[in-house]
Amino acid sequence: MEATIEVNGLRKRYGRTVAVDGLSFTVQPGQVTGFVGPNGAGKSTTMRVILGLDAPDEGTALVGGQPYRMLRVPLCHVGALLDAGAIHPGRRARDHLLWMAHSNGIATARINEVIEMVGLTSAARRRAGGYSLGMRQRLGIAGALLGDPPVLMFDEPVNGLDPEGIRWIRGLLRSLAAEGRAVLVSSHLMSELQDTADHLVVIGRGRLIADTTVAALVAAASGDRVVLRTAHRTEAMTALASAGATVAATDREAVTVTGLPAERIAAVLGERGLSFSELAAHRATLEEAYMELTRDAVEFNSPTVRAEASDE
Amino acid sequence: MSDRFGHLVRAEWTKFRSVRRWVLGLLIAIGLTVVLSTLFASVGGTDANSAPAVADRFHFVHQPMTGDGSVVARVSGQEPSHDWAKAGVMIKQSTASGSPYAAILVTPRNGVRFQADFRTDIGGSGRTAPLWLKLTRSGTTITGYESADGTTWTEVGSVSLSLPQTVEAGMFVASPEIVEIQRQFGGTSIGGRPTLGRATFDNASVSGGEPAKWQHEDIGASMFTSDETGATESGGTFTVSGSGEIIRLQQGDDDLIFNSFTGVVFGLMAVIVVAVLFITSEFKRGMIRTTFAASPRRGRVLVAKALVIGLVTFVAGLAATAGAFLLSQPQFRANGYRPPAYPYVHLFDGVVMRAVVGGALFLALLAVLSLGIGAILRRSAGAIALLIAIFIVPQILFGGLPLNVALWVGRVTPVAGLAIMQTTKRWDTAIDPWPGLGVLAGYAALAMGVAIWQVRRRDA
Repeated sequence: MEATIEVNGLRKRYGRTVAVDGLSFTVQPGQVTGFVGPNGAGKSTTMRVILGLDAPDEGTALVGGQPYRMLRVPLCHVGALLDAGAIHPGRRARDHLLWMAHSNGIATARINEVIEMVGLTSAARRRAGGYSLGMRQRLGIAGALLGDPPVLMFDEPVNGLDPEGIRWIRGLLRSLAAEGRAVLVSSHLMSELQDTADHLVVIGRGRLIADTTVAALVAAASGDRVVLRTAHRTEAMTALASAGATVAATDREAVTVTGLPAERIAAVLGERGLSFSELAAHRATLEEAYMELTRDAVEFNSPTVRAEASDE
Repeated sequence: MSDRFGHLVRAEWTKFRSVRRWVLGLLIAIGLTVVLSTLFASVGGTDANSAPAVADRFHFVHQPMTGDGSVVARVSGQEPSHDWAKAGVMIKQSTASGSPYAAILVTPRNGVRFQADFRTDIGGSGRTAPLWLKLTRSGTTITGYESADGTTWTEVGSVSLSLPQTVEAGMFVASPEIVEIQRQFGGTSIGGRPTLGRATFDNASVSGGEPAKWQHEDIGASMFTSDETGATESGGTFTVSGSGEIIRLQQGDDDLIFNSFTGVVFGLMAVIVVAVLFITSEFKRGMIRTTFAASPRRGRVLVAKALVIGLVTFVAGLAATAGAFLLSQPQFRANGYRPPAYPYVHLFDGVVMRAVVGGALFLALLAVLSLGIGAILRRSAGAIALLIAIFIVPQILFGGLPLNVALWVGRVTPVAGLAIMQTTKRWDTAIDPWPGLGVLAGYAALAMGVAIWQVRRRDA
């Protein structure tokens, strides 16, 4: 089976709420694809539709070229962590994995392997009711890995993990992609994906906002802005404006310049004899890029969020 | 079923056995059934063995008969005082109530019968009065005949009866009580209203021995005064009024096998809770998504679940009903339920096995029904409340409802399944055992059908 997820023209509404509105994207093998969007953007809905749990109103979602519901041993094709809380609290972790293994005819020897992979060996015989959220995430990930599937989907896997856990899951995601698997990871925080994802699918209000690589997204958000720090702010702004740049003061000593490359700015300031303490091409963080993209797509937009976004 | 279905069953069995509370719940069901059944068996008792074995009350117009001979009469008319009112001719050892007899008689609704010694009952034609009836005695054999015209006789039946040389022979009239069942909250009273039968006879004669005068009297204690019962003769026509019944009494109609399982009504509540939670707990926690992601063919998942909960409950139910039976019977014996009125029964008797295995089947089907309702409602509390109401409310209301309404409820609701444990038929029997279980099976299948249909089309 090809390790891909193809979502095409997906539309899903619940009552009067449109959760996903004409969404199309592809998840490629050998990469970690970040699936980003604010809360309520439609990430979980999309994942449920991919897993055949919810029926789309329009469009298709294919896994390795097939609808999920056609898969006969789905756990060996697609592994998914949707909701870490979806475990019966009275059941031991090992038994939870055992019934999953039985349902797809997976050898029970695999259970110990995945338990070890997620680091739950010592807790495997405890009842899941006593698990912390982080441990439940690990158990959910173990369930996703059970069938050794070429396609993996994780919905907000970082939630509840401690810093060590976060580092662990990043490494896991990278290594899964390095093995040639297609890995789709959702998050509402771009920063969580900054060092993990190769590719990004950004959605807001159920629509696709960007489908691009991390590098391209950061470059686009950075634009050709240059940050200038100088004690002679007013003079510098006048000089640069007359040289054809667009200038904006960001605080008492800092100016953001657009429309002129850094070398040209240095030359103009040098001609006027204006000294400066810093002159740097602005490199946007992924978070900034994301904020920029999703500014209009945040479901519950608040003035505070807007102010923070424009501060940066 | 394919190999894959086996996987599903195995997965669902793993789910069931790995939640300690569910296993515990079924153990509680067994415990409740056995303990409460035994407890209920230990209270109450019976005096059936000291009660009279036969009823022998009627009005008899008779004369002695010696040696071989016959008694003949034409019943010219009979009042329909009761479907089983009797008018006919009889040969009886003596006028003592309960003494051996043979009789050929006509009834308003049950045709001609040849009856003897509270045991023999042979049906003749469906004719009603007027008609001719005759008994002949030859040695120890007494034979009954009927005839439309007094010349062509048809044999109805014969019986071998050792009677003394001289017996009493003649005409008799009886009419049984109408049984009235009155139901009020808190109890049921069964009462009898006596009826007075009346018939006219002519062409009466007894051959054998010396001709004698007709005598008449009430045999056994009559419910009517001697003015009401009696016999008058006018020009060869006798008008005879009598009341009572000539029959072997059923000694004790308690269904001791069914009554061994009174605790099932309580055990089934635990079964309902476990079976409902087996599915609703998945909906509650979103675990159903993990289940349906692992097995996208949802209908098969539900069928596998039903199979597992059904089989597990059947095994638990077998332990419950067998245990309840084995522990209840000694209690019944201690309370006077002994032969001959109540013959001993054993676990491996046919009817007992049907009740024990059937009781387990009842619980298994109930579990499947509960699973189906749980899958439809997706809420533990609602499903459990609904099911307990279905099974418990009729038990509480049963005594207060009019009998026909109560019987109707017992026939058309899932409660009908309880009938599989009944081994006798009484006035309060709503439905036969297997049809009763069939009603419950129908409800279970319906619930599962709706659940499968719904789970396929709804988002998980």
